[in-house]
Amino acid sequence: MSDQSEQSTEGSRQTTYLDWNNSFDVMDKAFENRLFVLIIGPKGTGKTSLVREYVKQKSKELASINFSLRTRESHLVGTKNLIGGNIGFDEGILVKSMKEGNILYLDEINAAEADVLLRLDEALDDRRQIVLKESNGQIIKAKDSWFVIATINPLTHVGTKELPPQILSRFPVRIRLDYPPEDIEYQIIKKHVKNLNESDVLLGIKLANTLRQASAVEELYYSPSIRETIAFAKLLESGVSASESAKIVFGNVYSQWGNVEFQKVNDIIVSMFGI
Amino acid sequence: MQSLQLRNDVLIDIATFLVRRWSGTENITVEFSKIKHSETRLKEKRVLLIPNDQYYGNDFQKYRQYRTSIWYEAMRLKHCKKILSNDHAYGFILNTIETRRIELLGIKIWKGMVEELIFNYTNMWLSRNNLSSIFGKARLVEAFYQYFLFGDIKGEMQPSQFNKVVKAVELAKHVLDEAVKKDHNTMWIESKIPEILKILDLDALISIPLSVPLKGPGLAITPNDFTKAMKQVTKSRKDDFSKFDSKNVLEGKTVIDEFKIIKTENKKNEKKGLNTKSIGIQIPDPSNVDETKIYDQDLINNLKAKFKEWKTGWKEYHFFVGDEFDDEAYLEGYERQFISDLKKSIKTHIVILLDHSSSIADQQIDYKKATLALCEVLAFLKIKFSVYAFNTTKRQVMCWLIKPEDLKWNNSCAKRLAQIPANGGTPLAEVYDKMYPILHSSKPDIFLTLTDGEPSDPFAARSMVKSIKSTGIKMVAIGVGRDTPNATIIATNLKYLGFERTLGVSRLKDIPKKVLNVLGGN
Repeated sequence: MSDQSEQSTEGSRQTTYLDWNNSFDVMDKAFENRLFVLIIGPKGTGKTSLVREYVKQKSKELASINFSLRTRESHLVGTKNLIGGNIGFDEGILVKSMKEGNILYLDEINAAEADVLLRLDEALDDRRQIVLKESNGQIIKAKDSWFVIATINPLTHVGTKELPPQILSRFPVRIRLDYPPEDIEYQIIKKHVKNLNESDVLLGIKLANTLRQASAVEELYYSPSIRETIAFAKLLESGVSASESAKIVFGNVYSQWGNVEFQKVNDIIVSMFGI
Repeated sequence: MQSLQLRNDVLIDIATFLVRRWSGTENITVEFSKIKHSETRLKEKRVLLIPNDQYYGNDFQKYRQYRTSIWYEAMRLKHCKKILSNDHAYGFILNTIETRRIELLGIKIWKGMVEELIFNYTNMWLSRNNLSSIFGKARLVEAFYQYFLFGDIKGEMQPSQFNKVVKAVELAKHVLDEAVKKDHNTMWIESKIPEILKILDLDALISIPLSVPLKGPGLAITPNDFTKAMKQVTKSRKDDFSKFDSKNVLEGKTVIDEFKIIKTENKKNEKKGLNTKSIGIQIPDPSNVDETKIYDQDLINNLKAKFKEWKTGWKEYHFFVGDEFDDEAYLEGYERQFISDLKKSIKTHIVILLDHSSSIADQQIDYKKATLALCEVLAFLKIKFSVYAFNTTKRQVMCWLIKPEDLKWNNSCAKRLAQIPANGGTPLAEVYDKMYPILHSSKPDIFLTLTDGEPSDPFAARSMVKSIKSTGIKMVAIGVGRDTPNATIIATNLKYLGFERTLGVSRLKDIPKKVLNVLGGN
């Protein structure tokens, strides 16, 4: 999943991530003590950005995997191959990262199937090792520097499951990342867009928050992410009017749930920006 | 009793959403009420709107005024600490100043409302009474209202009286400025009301007559009158409203698209063919019922999470088929399928009948919570369904339409469910007889009855079940009992009535799961 920091300001290598809730500090402490970290929060709140930025700061390598219903054990552990008549073994991302001792990032871990989680559980416990039944029972031990960070979306997201308690307990440091307060979100957008129209961008953030609240109480089916407020500011910057940008970024998506849903959101947009 | 008011359903659905979002307050209920002025009851978290036909103008103009009035009520909810009655001078003056305050605070964020507010002001100005038609001290209060909001008065008054009004308005404007600048609330403004009353030389409790919009054939307003009035209104409010396009104010370009969509929705929802009323099924009158009482959000969320995979349409099953997995053979190209995906979705069309006889009276809130959660989940899963309920009202067996098949589940449906009292016996045969034409024409796959007792006439009920079954509809019944043995007895008795499938349930919260399992297994 791409996130806010991915969109860097053109021509500059400056960081676009804003650590507004001191997550870096917590992650540092966890890293020092080798306590695995779990980041919990709805989509588009900057979970992946946080991890990427942290890894960059630590000058470490990042091995990442995005979980879905289709993720198989073999993606994680590896598979046998047949080259020139010889059976070999292609290492999966988990085995590789354990051997190399880098940071492993497990994105949306609660979208994974039970059998996949089972193999993970084996590697994540105190022994930090995995037995490769796929490769003649070879035992892989993780290097000391091996560190794991995982993220989960709240259960209300489609395709997510409750994480089994034994897996949860492997991540004793838990960071909650929610949508930031309005002024912070504005600062985040500022890092991505050079010429900001302050009043319109602030209204855009307010609009996004209004829709997020409606989605939180299930009055709407979708809640806009920080990515979308950044997109809104970018459209404004390139000369699209505020009302048009709001419709394009925030409004039109709701038409997939029918006219009435679309109309409700459109009403809010019109009352904020006019036409 | 009323005919199908689907138009109001869509309007209430949108109005509820808008009030909650504009005000940022959850659990607000919005309803149309036969009152003279729209009002907000802060403690009850209720907004009462006047029926649309009480506004002046054509349908579109009425819609615009209705929409602005929702905005004002939402702003009141957000910014007012208390709302007094308009019946007395004290409350009337406080509310007048508050109207301006909430409006100034509101348009800081909702800038797109400016043109609609001007349109509304123009209509308000046109519909205000001439001062010469108001007698006694109330005239002073009305003059204060007009001069404060519109910068002018309609008609004439004695110079000495007018001076008082000017002075009082000056003070009121000063109070308003300070309140907005220093973020003072309703209580602070209220503390200044006695001073204003003193200038006007008024008793706080004098009655204020109701000012209702003037309507009638002789009072047609020409576009010219309107433009003139609009100029008059905007002249005094130049500083408050940012730039606006007067053509837009007249034509309502900002809201014309949404009005068109509502009209289309309305047409879509118009009942085609069978009229329910003509066959003895009624729709409950819209009333002031708080449907949030029967919302059990935990139960609804639980169910939604549980049945989520039905919504995505995919559930992965792991089958053990064939021989033990042989990796070498697999690598050599011997492929045998070992993971299968099954698509699970429900295309069933279901009609649900809810028993509201007196036997469920003592647990009717929980019963309604469970049945409402069921409807929410069915809507969430996009299953085609309609809901009916029966009870006895004024010694007559009534069959109520809660949700027609072609209407989306919304607040109005929940309200209808909330307002039906549990009363009377269980005359299943009579109710089935009333519903027969609808069942015959709409041909649902399943007709599900939720009941907690024996039908009044089992023989007649059995014969009705038989004739409905003969039309190809699967008859299912769920017996609701107080405990497991009781539920089992009811379910067994229902089986004797000829239902194809009967289930018993003793925990009300299990009702939705049972119904969904019936659907899943169909």
